[in-house]
Amino acid sequence: MNRRPSIPVTIVSGFLGAGKTTLLNRILNSDHGLRMAVMVNDFGAINIDSQLIVSQTQTTVSLTNGCICCTVESDLIEQLSRMLESRENRPEYIVIEASGVSNPQKIANTLRYPQFRNALNIDSIVTVVDAAQFDGLKGEMAQLAMDQLDAADIIVLNKIDQVSDEQVAALRARWLYPNVRLLQAQHCEVPLELILGVGRLSSGPKLKPVTTASVLGAVPEPDHSSVFATWSWRCDQPLSLKALRQALAALPANIYRAKGICNIAEAPRQRSVLHLVGSRSEINLAEDWHDAKPYSQLIVIGTHDAINPANLQAAFEKCIA
Amino acid sequence: MAKSDNYLSSNIRGAIGAAELVLINGRIYTVDDQQPWAEAVAIKHGRFVAVGDYNSVAPFIGEQTRVLDLKGRFAMPGLYDMHTHPDLALAPGYSGDLAIGLNDPTPEQVKQSVLDYAAANPGDGWVYGQYFVRYTFKQAGLVADREWLDSFMPDRPVAILDRSWGCMMVNSKALELAGIDADTMDPRHGYIERDSITGEPTGILVDGAYALIHAAMPPTPQHALKRAYREGVQFQSGHGVVGTKYVHVCEHRLNALKSIDQAGELTVRVEAAISWQDDIFPVKRRWELLAGERHFYRSARLNANAVKFHFDGTHESRSSYLSSAWPGESSWRGHLNLTPEHISDMVVDMDRKGVRVIAHCTGDGASDLFLDAVAEARRRNGDSGVRHQCAHSTTLLDANLPRFAELQVTAEFSPVGWFPSSFANARAVFGEDRMQRAYNFKGVLEAGGVAVMGTDWPVSSINPWIGFEAMITRENPFGDVEGCFYGNPITLEQAIRVMTINGAWCMGIDDKAGSIEVGKSADLIVLDRDLFAQSPKGNIHNTQVQLTLLEGEVMWDRQGEFVDTDHAAIWQGELPNF
Repeated sequence: MNRRPSIPVTIVSGFLGAGKTTLLNRILNSDHGLRMAVMVNDFGAINIDSQLIVSQTQTTVSLTNGCICCTVESDLIEQLSRMLESRENRPEYIVIEASGVSNPQKIANTLRYPQFRNALNIDSIVTVVDAAQFDGLKGEMAQLAMDQLDAADIIVLNKIDQVSDEQVAALRARWLYPNVRLLQAQHCEVPLELILGVGRLSSGPKLKPVTTASVLGAVPEPDHSSVFATWSWRCDQPLSLKALRQALAALPANIYRAKGICNIAEAPRQRSVLHLVGSRSEINLAEDWHDAKPYSQLIVIGTHDAINPANLQAAFEKCIA
Repeated sequence: MAKSDNYLSSNIRGAIGAAELVLINGRIYTVDDQQPWAEAVAIKHGRFVAVGDYNSVAPFIGEQTRVLDLKGRFAMPGLYDMHTHPDLALAPGYSGDLAIGLNDPTPEQVKQSVLDYAAANPGDGWVYGQYFVRYTFKQAGLVADREWLDSFMPDRPVAILDRSWGCMMVNSKALELAGIDADTMDPRHGYIERDSITGEPTGILVDGAYALIHAAMPPTPQHALKRAYREGVQFQSGHGVVGTKYVHVCEHRLNALKSIDQAGELTVRVEAAISWQDDIFPVKRRWELLAGERHFYRSARLNANAVKFHFDGTHESRSSYLSSAWPGESSWRGHLNLTPEHISDMVVDMDRKGVRVIAHCTGDGASDLFLDAVAEARRRNGDSGVRHQCAHSTTLLDANLPRFAELQVTAEFSPVGWFPSSFANARAVFGEDRMQRAYNFKGVLEAGGVAVMGTDWPVSSINPWIGFEAMITRENPFGDVEGCFYGNPITLEQAIRVMTINGAWCMGIDDKAGSIEVGKSADLIVLDRDLFAQSPKGNIHNTQVQLTLLEGEVMWDRQGEFVDTDHAAIWQGELPNF
């Protein structure tokens, strides 16, 4: 059994012209410090500084920072299998651009197939919406829009400068759902630390459930220039699974990420790993505690106004079984 | 037996020796090298008793003989479509499943539709259909899962597909009947969504996991299968097809075909190939069928003496198994679904039983291994007389071209993608070198082998005339896309053989059918145009078939030429429009 660490994947969806490529260009050119594979639909639209290109084929560009940019093939299963089998070029992070006319849920489903689920994990699904165009969609395009919104953990409402507040309100009323995680943006200028879960951009601690060392030690120096705040919580008593799920679902809508290790009453022998991105949260079983003393340790990332320590503390303490 | 063939009891109607039907004044292309053209044919007891000019048929004209003046019309042997699937194309739409049929149904509307369907279909049967929209659940602040379905339908199995076919939502009863619980293994290309901590299924099944539910459900209803096949043969007869292969059947599909046959409506000779794998639908009686139960279905029009399997993958997914790496790859050659050893043993075994093996081989590596397996069967069994079939044959190794003749294997080319179109271009992924040899009718024919065509409906159109034209032109018949497709065209004469006598060879009946010769089955079609009179491009695909005769019986009569006669056609007038 291959015990190489599982690779986080971000899926970027949205209609043609919504701003996906702008976002992908920003990701490719950012200082993420990862050997990243960015899988796009159309090479032509991607803007790569030619000085950064090491080599190029019809379907792949290799960059000096170790990243590759390649086109998404019609069969993602085969393409991902090959990528995972690669010895030298196994990526540390994968970004997949969903075609403008596709349902990103299908890609997410594929990543959860048995052959991939230990090797890949879905960090985030981001849907970019053109605020000016979206409300007029009809028919099949409207159905597709629903699929894209349904699949999204985070929705980027792009080109916000081109619409009035009333239009935004109307769009929200027609299209959005309770608890939606929405980032408003121009030119897809969204904080990449919300989109990509790890690497230098990660705003939370690197989570390595394999080690038993305190995760607290990994918390980076707080960056006061960020519009985001973090809050962390530690608890030595076991938590109720149902209560924790309810608490996560009830978090304020401008909390964008949370992660941590939990001591779940229903699974007392194992660590549970919590991963919340936007409106989706997952709690998955991980290694046994063995002789370590079980604990729960969470870090929550959101806008400054959402991080109300007293409220958050109360919400999570209610989860104690 | 041979000597009694011509014995006619005196208590039959009509003069001894007189024909039932005589066609005169035709321009008849016979596909018989000894006599390529004829003006007239005489038909008796389903066979041609005379082929030639008027003088050669005149002695067969008796008082009861029906004589049809073709008035110069073009006629030729009937066509053979050697790989197609009317059941897969049509039956799902005819099943009478739940169809919620609303745009963006809310959870409340989904619930009401399920309740209404259950009320209209009382009992404890499945409520199966489409569709729900997960997004509307999200908007309503609900989670689409088994608990939600259980809240109003706990006792009867319910399975509803998501609109974008991303998943299926089922209730607890459905999970129970399908035997799905926390311990059930996930299928390879799909999964059972589970509670991440308890492992209990949530009621959402993804992709490959649908099959777990389908296996627990009753099969596609007979009425839907019957309607699909009946409309399929009607369409095929109306387009001049006299022999076809329905490649993938199970016991239910064979039952449907048999009931159409017994009603006298199987107007095409059908070879039905039993599925070797369960990847399209479950075949519960596979081994009984292959052991001999298949003979129960046998008639002059129907046989199930064939088996079909998927050896490699598809071009679009780059899983076709090639003899060398795919373009742009260092080692990836594609994928085999079954080991070469499995195929070799299976071909030897089936060959010994007299069962034709039809192997899905899109890549040149897959067909290479399949030919090896047939060679092994020939070595061990000697010449069994069974002609095995290499299905699709999209790309073949040049070195293998002579082996089709040597091993008596049919090279079947399908689906119809040998002309420029967005469909064909999306499949033109084997690299320049391999594409130049794509759909290599010419290579197989020139090496002395037998090439046939399959429409592979619903992958491409079931109308055989489209591929017929394009194998001669390699150009887009509709003028939608300019230019020539990869590969080499063949001549009109070669194409006619591909569509007629080669099909008969591929069905093992070329000694009895496939050309217009005395003693052969009276299979003949009359067209609205002379295929030799005009340039094929933009012409042949538009051909209208005016009459289709199979075993001397009129199956299709477009203009009602035999209305109110003893020869009245089984189908006339309108054809189903697919």
